[in-house]
Amino acid sequence: MLEAHTRRGKVTLQLIVTLLAIPFLIPLVVMVQGSLAGKGWGNYLAVLSLPQLPSFFLNSAIISVLTIALALLCTLLAAFGFAKLHIRGKEFFFWVLLAALTLPEIVLVTPLFVTATTTNLYNTYWAVVLPLAALQIPFTILITRTFMAGIPDALIEAARIDGANTWRAFWHVVLPLTRPIAAAVIVLTLISAWNAYLLPLIFLQDANSQVVTQVPSFFQGQYNDDQTKVLASAVISAIPIVVAYLCLQKLFERGLSAGALK
Amino acid sequence: MTDMLTKGGADASVPSSGVGARSKGRAPATRRRSSMRAPGFPWILPALVVSSGLVYFCIGYNGWVSLLDWNGISPIQTFVGIDNYLQAFADPIFWGTLQHTLIYFVVTFVAQTVLGIVLAVLLHSRVRLAGLYKVIIFVPVVLAPAIMAPVFRIMFAGDGPVNGFLEAIGLGFIAQPWLAQSSTALGVLMIMQIWNTTGISFILFYAAISQVEHDVIEAARLDGAGNIRIVWSIVVPSVRGTIVALAMLGAIGTLKLFDIPYLVTSGGPNFATEFLGTYIYRQAVPLGNVGYASALSIILLVLALGMALVLSIRGNEERQAKKGAVR
Repeated sequence: MLEAHTRRGKVTLQLIVTLLAIPFLIPLVVMVQGSLAGKGWGNYLAVLSLPQLPSFFLNSAIISVLTIALALLCTLLAAFGFAKLHIRGKEFFFWVLLAALTLPEIVLVTPLFVTATTTNLYNTYWAVVLPLAALQIPFTILITRTFMAGIPDALIEAARIDGANTWRAFWHVVLPLTRPIAAAVIVLTLISAWNAYLLPLIFLQDANSQVVTQVPSFFQGQYNDDQTKVLASAVISAIPIVVAYLCLQKLFERGLSAGALK
Repeated sequence: MTDMLTKGGADASVPSSGVGARSKGRAPATRRRSSMRAPGFPWILPALVVSSGLVYFCIGYNGWVSLLDWNGISPIQTFVGIDNYLQAFADPIFWGTLQHTLIYFVVTFVAQTVLGIVLAVLLHSRVRLAGLYKVIIFVPVVLAPAIMAPVFRIMFAGDGPVNGFLEAIGLGFIAQPWLAQSSTALGVLMIMQIWNTTGISFILFYAAISQVEHDVIEAARLDGAGNIRIVWSIVVPSVRGTIVALAMLGAIGTLKLFDIPYLVTSGGPNFATEFLGTYIYRQAVPLGNVGYASALSIILLVLALGMALVLSIRGNEERQAKKGAVR
């Protein structure tokens, strides 16, 4: 894009990029450095030796998996319906779904809190999974429908002429072609479920059902003044999603840039 | 926004509806196709139940409770009509949240757009280690504000690294308790937001810029255009669609804002960083004014929908450009 012919120009470009990129690293450096202050790795040992820690991660993992499964199932079925099947009042139903795109999750808090406490869903995974999936589904359907509409009708027709019913055509012809967008849906849902804070904060009050995003506040309560351990707990909570990102970089970027088009 | 999105969706569905329209003219084809296509509704039913069922139940519930004076637990619910709404419009904290939302949106949107475009252009140029820079810019996006909030609180604390750094470079007189005073706390939140989500703007601009024709740039260069001229006259116009899309994302995102202000400043000091999201939470959960919180929720919802409509009308002109840029 930009061209620099002289050596000096090239060095200048490199310098500008570096200067602009450094601020993105600073919080991470502060986090890691701070977590190693005082007792050094001892901070990590102290955090890791807390008996509750595995359950934080386990709960986040369970919630993420359930949310992804529910959202993916609803999304793939509905996107296929919207893109390829005849539905009376299709655009109306699509609008009904899409209107939820602007819905802030805080608006769900009062009704769901009252409902969950009266229906024994309080302190269960479903109290978090259902609203998370509900808020995710409109957008994932939007991007998946666009993608499925691009699959030629002729392919589905051909499957039908070979005697396949709609379900088999969906399963054997459409699904295999939908993998790229399904991957984006999974990544998008994973990030919003893993990073969710408000819904778990409200619905998972039980000490055993807390999730990863609550780890730093938990340690703040545990070690009032000891910031080093709070930072160590932040590093430990950050590691899984950063590792996942580094391993699946392309998928994450595709998923999130699709997500950014909300 | 929703309007724009539906239009996008509707465009995408043209192939299928095109088939439907054609088959109307041909009776045999209609019979075969429609029998195959008939039961579409069961396919969308799970999504409607899980998503719309829950969402519209909650909206309706908020609408009803917003007319009550109720603490959420007590069996006593007093019907007060639109009193909660009148209370909101007379509440200086409510107006404060709107003001913070506006400032926050404008500053973070402008900063992320400028940074995103500049970084995307630079990393499309011949720069070494471009892959590494991309990762550095994008990693904050996957990190939850909940995880990073303690880090930012410590960084900007009175005795934190930011003040330490200022003192070390001889700017000690600027050092101040950033989060403890009303004048600077909002700024810290905006810095955290920019740090957190510039990666998304960057990735979108990066994708959009790779669509810019190299011939056009070469031609401009032959005509004597310099680097800055090329960015301003060719790159920026070609990513206008992305800018509009990001404006919508930012506007809705700021209206919804909760995690960052709640975790870093809890809306303080003295409500200086209170947003609608944190204020609704404060009213509903710690204060137990569920009726008032519901009225605020409905106002928030109306604002978000209104914003989406206004922006999508503005954005419609840019829609073609956006499609070109995004794909």
